[in-house]
Amino acid sequence: MRPFFVYGDPMEPNLLPIESLEAQQNFPASLAACGDMDALLRLKGAYIGREGSHAARLMDLLKTAPKEQKRELGAVINTLKNQWEEALKARQTELEEAKKRRGALASSWDPDLPPPIPARGALHPLTRLVDRLVDVFRPLGYHVEEGPEVETEAHNFDGLNIPQDHPARSSADTFYFAEHPELLLRTHTSPVQVRVLKRLAPRILAKGGIRFLAPGRVYRKDEIDPTHSPMFHQVEGLLVGRNIGMHHLKGTLEYAMKALFGEDADVRFRPSYFPFVEPGCEVDVRCPLCHGKGCRVCKGSGWVELLGAGLVHPNVLAYAGIDPQVWSGFAFGMGVERIAMMVSQTPDLRLFFENDQRFLKVMGGLD
Amino acid sequence: MRIEIKALQQELPALLGQSTTALCELLAGLGFPVDAVEDGAGSPVLEVDVTANRGDVMSHRGLARDVAARLDASLTPLDAPALSEGAALLPVRLEDPACWLYATALLELGSSQATPAAAQTFLNAMGSTAKNLAPVDASNELLHRNGHPTHAFDADTLKGAIIVRRAKAGEKLVTLDGVERALTADDLIIADESGPIALAGVMGGDPTKVTPDTTRVLLESAYFDPRTVRAMARRHNLHTDASHRFGRGANPAFARIGRDLLAKRLQDWAGARLVGAWTAGDAPPAAKPIACTQTLLEAVAGEALPLAEAADFLRRLGCLVTADSGKLTVIPPSWRHDLSIPEDLAEEVLRLRGYDRIPSALPPLEGHPDPLAQVYLQPRNLSRRLANLGFHQTVTLGFISPELDAQFATHDNPAVGRTLTNPLGMEYSVMRASLLASLRAAAELNLRQGAKEVRLFEIAPVFFSGHQGPKETMTLGLIWGGTLGGEDPLTKARPVQPADLLGIARDLGCRDRVQVRELSPGLFALEISLDDLELPKDRVIPAFSPFSRFPALERDLSLLVDLDKPYRGLAEAMSMAVLMAAGEAFRDLHCVDIFRHKSLPEGRQAMLIRLRFQAHDRTLTSEEVDAWVAAALTAAKALGAELR
Repeated sequence: MRPFFVYGDPMEPNLLPIESLEAQQNFPASLAACGDMDALLRLKGAYIGREGSHAARLMDLLKTAPKEQKRELGAVINTLKNQWEEALKARQTELEEAKKRRGALASSWDPDLPPPIPARGALHPLTRLVDRLVDVFRPLGYHVEEGPEVETEAHNFDGLNIPQDHPARSSADTFYFAEHPELLLRTHTSPVQVRVLKRLAPRILAKGGIRFLAPGRVYRKDEIDPTHSPMFHQVEGLLVGRNIGMHHLKGTLEYAMKALFGEDADVRFRPSYFPFVEPGCEVDVRCPLCHGKGCRVCKGSGWVELLGAGLVHPNVLAYAGIDPQVWSGFAFGMGVERIAMMVSQTPDLRLFFENDQRFLKVMGGLD
Repeated sequence: MRIEIKALQQELPALLGQSTTALCELLAGLGFPVDAVEDGAGSPVLEVDVTANRGDVMSHRGLARDVAARLDASLTPLDAPALSEGAALLPVRLEDPACWLYATALLELGSSQATPAAAQTFLNAMGSTAKNLAPVDASNELLHRNGHPTHAFDADTLKGAIIVRRAKAGEKLVTLDGVERALTADDLIIADESGPIALAGVMGGDPTKVTPDTTRVLLESAYFDPRTVRAMARRHNLHTDASHRFGRGANPAFARIGRDLLAKRLQDWAGARLVGAWTAGDAPPAAKPIACTQTLLEAVAGEALPLAEAADFLRRLGCLVTADSGKLTVIPPSWRHDLSIPEDLAEEVLRLRGYDRIPSALPPLEGHPDPLAQVYLQPRNLSRRLANLGFHQTVTLGFISPELDAQFATHDNPAVGRTLTNPLGMEYSVMRASLLASLRAAAELNLRQGAKEVRLFEIAPVFFSGHQGPKETMTLGLIWGGTLGGEDPLTKARPVQPADLLGIARDLGCRDRVQVRELSPGLFALEISLDDLELPKDRVIPAFSPFSRFPALERDLSLLVDLDKPYRGLAEAMSMAVLMAAGEAFRDLHCVDIFRHKSLPEGRQAMLIRLRFQAHDRTLTSEEVDAWVAAALTAAKALGAELR
């Protein structure tokens, strides 16, 4: 604060009354003591108010002062009054700004406080994996076909070259319906092949072929345990065209496994047998966890079995009304849970059907 | 199937010095993956996976034969001179075509019956136990070595001729496992003149079995029709080493050899003396020739494949092959019942060459790809949307208990049409009519596990009993319960309300009113058929529809309304009145707040109704809007509401 200064000698007894001198002396301390607007207004009233203030009393004094002193006294009073006014004004600005600062603080938000988080759910890991597989095959031109879970024996077995006395048809392996003994819960997604080929045979012939994936839920009579469930998911793939050979199957699945597991994924084909393909094979992928060194997941072999496949058996094409002399194709089918467990090292299949939100959040998450 | 490496090497010396790992790779490459390797006594034992079509490799020699073809190596010759056959000492009558061939021999056993230690060790490695009865142990040992099942009867228990025939209804047989079996007319049996003595190709009978007191044995080495044996094994739930091999197709040409080997064993082990050997019937004719063109071979292989190379592979497998003008004519060997079409032969050629030699190529597109159908896209998009709305996707079993099903099934959907004949248990016996029971179970599990809020959904078919069988409808089920919010300074905690779910249903474009059900206190659920949800239009983006650029005006009416007056009636009456007055300028009207307090007249609540107006062509004036609001108020008053 500027030093308080009065022209002439303020202590001149015959110039200013003693109360005014004291007021002048106390003014800086009183001003500093004003913590809010109310106190400041009270101080303002006491010093420069219209009535009863120090300034008003000095003005009264000026009126009654001897003529020869008036000029000098007037100048002193004026200076004094101006100084008070300016100081009060400055203090007022100060207080107003402090108040503004406090106000701003009150409506401010500490960015480190927890903000409201939008609710976040999760896809099921099995759905996510199925969709991922669809995405992998989509660039190759595969679309998605679906079929019912309640199937006929004809679609589930006959059309797939599965012999009449095959054990899979028995009631120990397959669920049948009490009121409709010819109906069953499909044991694989392969009947979608039969349905689509039958339905689209004329179109397939006209177009030159077809390729699609058929994901879905399937049922087998397995007791529930850490590696079995009476309901699980498969993704079936089928391609029918002209002059389709094992090399096409290999090229397609090698592409798919690299797309799924990374460019360095290694794929192995082994001969195997399924009634609806010939030749048949099983496809292993180099263990994605140990990269072939051998671990618990691949049981030390460095390879994990991923899917079954082969060239479509001529009987399957013929059943659907497609001439196997002219047309050929390949099919592959994979167990979604199997791949999910292998990739994620989930120790117990039942976790996928328990639907604990904690499991779903971590395993399924959001795309 | 258990394979002792030492015994395999005895059959195929080329395998000597081969490491176990290399052998496993070799077998896997031929289609016989090794599931486990065990330390046997003196030699590792492999658990080899054999596919259902390959009965011929279900023995050490059978597997060795396939490996030998791959390696182009030779098997150790069999050590059994062919017995010279004579007249039947006991008549053998084959009365049913399911038994083609029945080779037999009569032997007198010597004093010793002990089974050599080496054979006992081998049987242990096979998971079997030596009985210390030479005829039994030798038969068992030879089955594992060579794959052809044989049987020995105590000859002194037999009465008259041996007859292979179908059983007669009412006949019974106590099999070796001590079980009395009622036979059916479909069972193929071995009988003597007193009745059944064995289930053909499955198991011998107890009364005629070899015992320590047996002095004379009659050997059986036959060939039975695979289908007949499979059916019997299934019918009697009696799956034996013999039924597995006959059921998949044994080698008819090995029947006599099997008998000769067994006789030789008994001579070597028990000092037995051959009394006579004879055979009834003949092996079935050789399989029909299969024509396999080079074109087909190359189409399957995906590369040039000289016919001579293919012929060589097939010959190594025992096929009779003639090659001429671009095609092979192939007669498969008597042990390969699985080869019947050219594709089978193509597989054999590729298998022996190694599947790793198949080239890799992407097939050319056969036409334009099809788009992804809505039947796939709708659930996929819906799932993502719900997950982003905080819901967790569940997968639950399609079958539930009749009790749970009854809680949610409608009366026109009886469970009987959806019930399984052979469920895993009652709790899994009905294909569910609703997803809600399963969702409730999953939600309650989460709450029990300490979840504060549970928000789940499932998209799966539900089943409806129809005349043609269960019909499936893809359905969305939602369940929501627990406490919302309360986890940050800005969001107050509150219990989940049914209205929360209604909001979701509306957001998903549910066309009809849906029913929210309280499945247990504070747990709300609803179920919507996917058919009832709006699908995106076919167009890439919708057609342009003009919107007003003039300001909208909003007015709020605070009304006192009876607590028991439904909102829907009030809103509809007010909307109708405003629509009549304002026409197109009326946009909408809805309740934005409800106030219930003891300061209000008893039985009434305050409802804040917001009305919105907007014209296409001009800015609305206060005066005209006031008139429309007055019309709304009049309609509300007619229903007993008053301005607060």
